[in-house]
Amino acid sequence: MSNIVAIAQKELKSYFASPIAYIVIGMFALLYGYFYIAILAYFIRQSLQMSEFGGQGAQALNVNQALIRPLLQNVTILVLFVMPMVTMRTYAEEKRSGTIELLLTSPLTDFQIILGKFLGAMALYGIMLLVSMIHLGILFLYGRPEWKPLISAYLGLLLLGGCFISVGLFISSLTKNQIVAGMATFAVFLFLWVITWIGGFSGPTVDQLTNYLSIINHYDDFGKGVIDTTHVIYYVSFITFGLFLTAKSVDSERWRS
Amino acid sequence: MIEVQHLTKRYGRVTAVEDVSFRVERGEIFGFLGPNGAGKTTTMRILTGFIPATEGKAIVAGFDVFDQPIEAKRRTGYLPETPPLYPDMSVVEYLGFVAKVKGVPSAERRQRIAAVMERTRIDDVATRLCSKLSKGYRQRVGLAQAIIHNPDVLILDEPTAGLDPKQIIETRELIKELAGDHTIILSTHILPEVSQTCQRVVIINKGHVVAVDTPDNLTARLRGSETMYVQVDANGLDASGTLGGVAGVTRVAESDRRDGLVGYEVESEHGHDVRRDLARTVIGNGWGLLELRPMRMSLEEIFLSLTTEETPTPAPTAEASAPTPEGEETAHE
Ligand SMILES: Nc1ncnc2c1ncn2[C@@H]1O[C@H](COP(=O)(O)OP(=O)(O)O)[C@@H](O)[C@H]1O
Ligand SMILES: [Mg+2]
Repeated sequence: MSNIVAIAQKELKSYFASPIAYIVIGMFALLYGYFYIAILAYFIRQSLQMSEFGGQGAQALNVNQALIRPLLQNVTILVLFVMPMVTMRTYAEEKRSGTIELLLTSPLTDFQIILGKFLGAMALYGIMLLVSMIHLGILFLYGRPEWKPLISAYLGLLLLGGCFISVGLFISSLTKNQIVAGMATFAVFLFLWVITWIGGFSGPTVDQLTNYLSIINHYDDFGKGVIDTTHVIYYVSFITFGLFLTAKSVDSERWRS
Repeated sequence: MIEVQHLTKRYGRVTAVEDVSFRVERGEIFGFLGPNGAGKTTTMRILTGFIPATEGKAIVAGFDVFDQPIEAKRRTGYLPETPPLYPDMSVVEYLGFVAKVKGVPSAERRQRIAAVMERTRIDDVATRLCSKLSKGYRQRVGLAQAIIHNPDVLILDEPTAGLDPKQIIETRELIKELAGDHTIILSTHILPEVSQTCQRVVIINKGHVVAVDTPDNLTARLRGSETMYVQVDANGLDASGTLGGVAGVTRVAESDRRDGLVGYEVESEHGHDVRRDLARTVIGNGWGLLELRPMRMSLEEIFLSLTTEETPTPAPTAEASAPTPEGEETAHE
């Protein structure tokens, strides 16, 4: 356990020692801030209109439904863009610089190293999500949003991000070149994202399959405030599978190199 | 302390190391001498558990590196060819991380870090980023991380490569100091290095073990001798004394024995062809002479390739003025 923590700490520190963490969090904060303002402006316009028509005023328009939900839905898109930058160097850079020799000749199991790297990336992602919470905190000052859908939405975001990170780790373990790793990761993420569109064109059976595969679709219920165990199981299995592939890749690299 | 048996490593169709065997005793400094591409790094990577062997077995500090990798790794310190430093960590931070993953208990960490920094003389760069270190310091920080958990076995891959002559001398001194507490294997393609630091040497070339001996014996063998392989059916008798009595023979060593046939390595003075006398002696004793041939691998050839490798290092003039370049003399003979 302490080995996993040591690796995770090292990973997190190295994000902050390089520009990566600042670029990732900065980009996230900027784009998120933009979405926040855009959606908030839209929300205010809507609620003003409603109060003009003599309804029950702003509260009639649910803050959760009309503001927080679309906002956090947009976070999933941000994750798609910034996560490759988080994971691209995890293995690739260690292989390029030779520090992988230190890790693999230390009394650590592959599992400890992989899980440490996973948790390190999750921690950085967690910090990104914290940034998004600051904005939401402001809503709590002026309105009365519900807590529960927020918790489920953030749980969903964490799990969704975990899926991306596990795939990103795997791809990073395949190459020495972090740029190649980053681009390939982005391509795979994008594919996992748009896979539902393919389904939409190609009939009900394929549609079902692609819906299942699309890691975004499984987020919808979390966004609505529903924690459905099937989706939780889906995400957890996805993450486990990604980490398993990473372990296979690290081990087979050992036999090849 | 280290036992390597019939180690073979193939990369696809490239055989990097083939049937390598040797033993290293506790407290020894054991040299791995061979030109570039000989298979030194490959062997060391197998010993440290970085890569698995294709065939064969390696036991380090009592543990099989393949079956009990964690136990073996706990007792091994390793300095790869390029020191595995994290550029964005300071030296202290880096050593702290290595101490953690090598399993140094947290209560002892601070004291261990201070001790190895003093020992490897890197105190003055403790807070500097690893990316800002000079080549000499990088190497020393690499050594510091290798000894941080006080391992039984220390494996150093070309620890002096790329250093200037002063740093080379310092590093060799440091390695000798460390020998008291650790069993050390170091690799090099520079001949003087082994004669100055190592007690025993294995010479490998193209993945094969050519010789295992003390540096003095190797130099002697090289300076004035040629080696024949003689296989004799001496009816169970020991023929080495008789063979040793042949004029011009300087040394006889048994190399293998099976089904009553005994193979000897017979060394003779340089330029003295003892083959006829050897054959006559064997036949004269009524024994069977089954094989008589010069040893396949010429030490001299390999030594030549070793020292020619030294020229490409930077600062060749400084290299030439380095003290006791006896290996170079040898090579030019
Ligand atoms: N990852 C690899 N894939 C294929 N061949 C390799 C690999 N690593 C080393 N080799 C080959 O194995 C041989 C031995 O290499 P190495 O152990 O690095 O030698 P040395 O350290 O003595 O210079 C060389 O011929 C080298 O080309
Ligand atoms: Mg090498």
